Amino acid sequence: MSIPVRSIVECRSCGAGAPADVHFCPQCSRILALGRHGDYFTFLGVPRRLTLDTALLEQRFRELSRQFHPDYFYNATATERVASLERSAYLNDAYRTLRNPVSRVEYLLSLEGLAVSAPAGIESTAKPKVPASLLQEVFALNEELDAIRERRESGEDPRALGARLETARKPIEEKRDEHERQLEALSARWDATQERATLEALRELMLERNYIHNLLATIEREAAEVSRPLTDR
Amino acid sequence: MSKVVGIDLGTTNSLVAYVNDGVPVVIRDESGDPLLPSIVSLGDEGTIFVGREAQRRLLTAPGRTVYSVKRFMGRGIDDVTGEASLLPFTVSGDPGGVVRIGLADRAFTPPEISAFVLRELKHRAEEHFRKAGEFDFEVDRAVITVPAYFNDAQRTATRDAGRLAGLDVLRIINEPTAASLAYGLDKRNRGTIAVYDLGGGTFDISILKVEGGVFQVLATNGDTHLGGDDIDLEVMSRVLRELATPSFASATIQAIRKAVIAAKWDLSEQDEAEIRVEPGPDLPGGYRRRITRVEFEAMIAPLVDRTLEPCRQALADAGLQPRDIDEAVLVGGSTRVPLVRRKVEELFGRKPHSDLNPDEVVALGAAVQADILVSGRRELLLLDVTPLSLGIETMGGVVSKIILRNSTIPASGREMFTTGVDNQTAVDVHVLQGERELAADCRSLARFRLRGIPPMPAGLPRIEVRFQIDANGILSVSARELRTDIAQTIEVKPSYGLTEGEVERMLIESFEHAEADFEARLLIDARNEAESVVQATEKSLRRPDFAQIAAEELQPGEREGIEAALAALKQAIGGDNREAIQEKTHALNHATQHLAEIVMNRTVREALSGKSVDEVR
Repeated sequence: MSIPVRSIVECRSCGAGAPADVHFCPQCSRILALGRHGDYFTFLGVPRRLTLDTALLEQRFRELSRQFHPDYFYNATATERVASLERSAYLNDAYRTLRNPVSRVEYLLSLEGLAVSAPAGIESTAKPKVPASLLQEVFALNEELDAIRERRESGEDPRALGARLETARKPIEEKRDEHERQLEALSARWDATQERATLEALRELMLERNYIHNLLATIEREAAEVSRPLTDR
Repeated sequence: MSKVVGIDLGTTNSLVAYVNDGVPVVIRDESGDPLLPSIVSLGDEGTIFVGREAQRRLLTAPGRTVYSVKRFMGRGIDDVTGEASLLPFTVSGDPGGVVRIGLADRAFTPPEISAFVLRELKHRAEEHFRKAGEFDFEVDRAVITVPAYFNDAQRTATRDAGRLAGLDVLRIINEPTAASLAYGLDKRNRGTIAVYDLGGGTFDISILKVEGGVFQVLATNGDTHLGGDDIDLEVMSRVLRELATPSFASATIQAIRKAVIAAKWDLSEQDEAEIRVEPGPDLPGGYRRRITRVEFEAMIAPLVDRTLEPCRQALADAGLQPRDIDEAVLVGGSTRVPLVRRKVEELFGRKPHSDLNPDEVVALGAAVQADILVSGRRELLLLDVTPLSLGIETMGGVVSKIILRNSTIPASGREMFTTGVDNQTAVDVHVLQGERELAADCRSLARFRLRGIPPMPAGLPRIEVRFQIDANGILSVSARELRTDIAQTIEVKPSYGLTEGEVERMLIESFEHAEADFEARLLIDARNEAESVVQATEKSLRRPDFAQIAAEELQPGEREGIEAALAALKQAIGGDNREAIQEKTHALNHATQHLAEIVMNRTVREALSGKSVDEVR
């Protein structure tokens, strides 16, 4: 049996060693610089779950804000001021990410090496592949959008086109709502079982979800075109 | 220990407050006025006038006087050309650069003008502490408030103004949040509140959750170009249309503006008011017009309606419905307009609070925040948000968002960059703020160049750029090439701000001008003293028994001497010559010495004979 080794950070105020998942130095009780640190869940001290008690999350956020906030380090040393700023910023990022169920799933997936989006800044030129479960809807929608665009360009009554767009939007919105429900169900299942297969299913779901949102954005843009006064076109 | 204050640097008026034994109080001037008009005027000899004095000069020296400068803070000439036409001062600047305000033959940046206002407030506070017998009465640190919807450039400009005024700016905080802090002191300690802040030039809405002493902003929205000034402009342009004269002198336009503002105030209390302009050189007949509240409300309704969309957006961003709001709070002088109150009540379905003076509540909150910072007291904590998303320009002029709006600050974000050409050693980065997708539609904050990238094949370097928004809502940027762990040099060129070098230079200049400013201060003091002597003399002359005194006790010609000295002093007060004012003040004091003795004796005699002093006045 191996002895668990907690990762250690050095306190920049007194030089003592401190565990990476505490916020204040056990020796001199000063705020620790944000060096190596735990993930958002351990940082906030909440269980690593997808269905989180939001009241607990909020309470932890407020407690930690009261410990780290730069307002309370105004008269402290420069080292502590920097630590307070970095720790507060990390806390705010953590809280924002975990508060929202969708970003919480995305975050957990990235922790588990199943990141949904490409690493930031590295732009992929390839168009995302259409998820198999959406092929039918996407095909129908693209056909309809092409038809509407053509009619718009030939000057057809925008009101009639607007109504057609609404009809085209319906099935996509239904797909989205269905996804919301699946997301909740899978989140609960992962919390109960911690099976990797569930995470992989969640990843597929998130990819589809992003695709659905892109489709809705496309419809939104076309709707804006259709409702624009003719004189502006 | 030197003193700290909270400052509300407003479009129309500015205030300074401090915490005295745990209670925030606004510091008043000698006449008891808490408001300092945010107006600055340049005298003939380069002296600077601020406040009421500058306000008077708006009618006599409009080309040398500037008001509402807050609307130009952190802005470029291309933003403001539309509104410059009715202003008495000139507004210029290079496209894509800082605005310059022309007063006579000198040009000032908006932070320099604001610094004059801040310096006056600093002086007011120091006088207050000095008179209170404080050993160290110097005021060198302040919390200054800004509209919540101010962008990075506008916040930075405000901080620069503070530095130019010789203040260490402890913190820039948002006006509605400051107001909530002042309200929250003695209120129930939990709930969701909406702060509706319509000031002289800006509009903000902030939705906050208050629990356990933590004031957490959930969402904020607004319009930095919407306020009482726009209401005034709307009514003014109506008046100008009705007068149908092609153009007026600046002084006449200012006289009309003054009359319109007076009528606006009256209409908050009455159903009908009069816009009344006295005859002037290019308005020989003067101008008088009745205006009813109904008519006024019809004119300004579109402006008030423009505040409602930001309110709905803020609610949506907070994930709330209007019925979820426990309390709505009104802040800013323009919320005295009854139509504004009605619209807020309609939107939130409840009567808004206005128990604290809407002019003073922001300064009080700023004082509380200043006290928290220096005292280390931990009962209260403000958690504010950044009002606008922050991003960088990517391929095709599209903005890639790095920190989203309504993120709690401090906040951070990072973005990876690489090179497009072999052995490329520098990358240009364009930082933007705003919600739109295209860079051209967002606010340009800065451009900088990442230098010193180690030569490598294209696409290999991994440069991490880190954006950090601090507790002031102000951005800083750092960068590091991860493969070599080399920190990058970043030279940020603010798009609509002053560079570090410019601020330094202005600071040096302000020391050079300190002598002229000191002179201005002496002039104002001399004028104030002169006014009080004039008032005391006129009071004596108005006494019911003055005719009797003149006949029985004054020397022949003494009365005429007093009247001549009085007239001479009044004339001197109108000018900028301090020595003349002091000389004439002295002369009037001398001429009235005998009269003052007589009046004093009579008062004492009457008091002894049983009459109260008030009765004989």
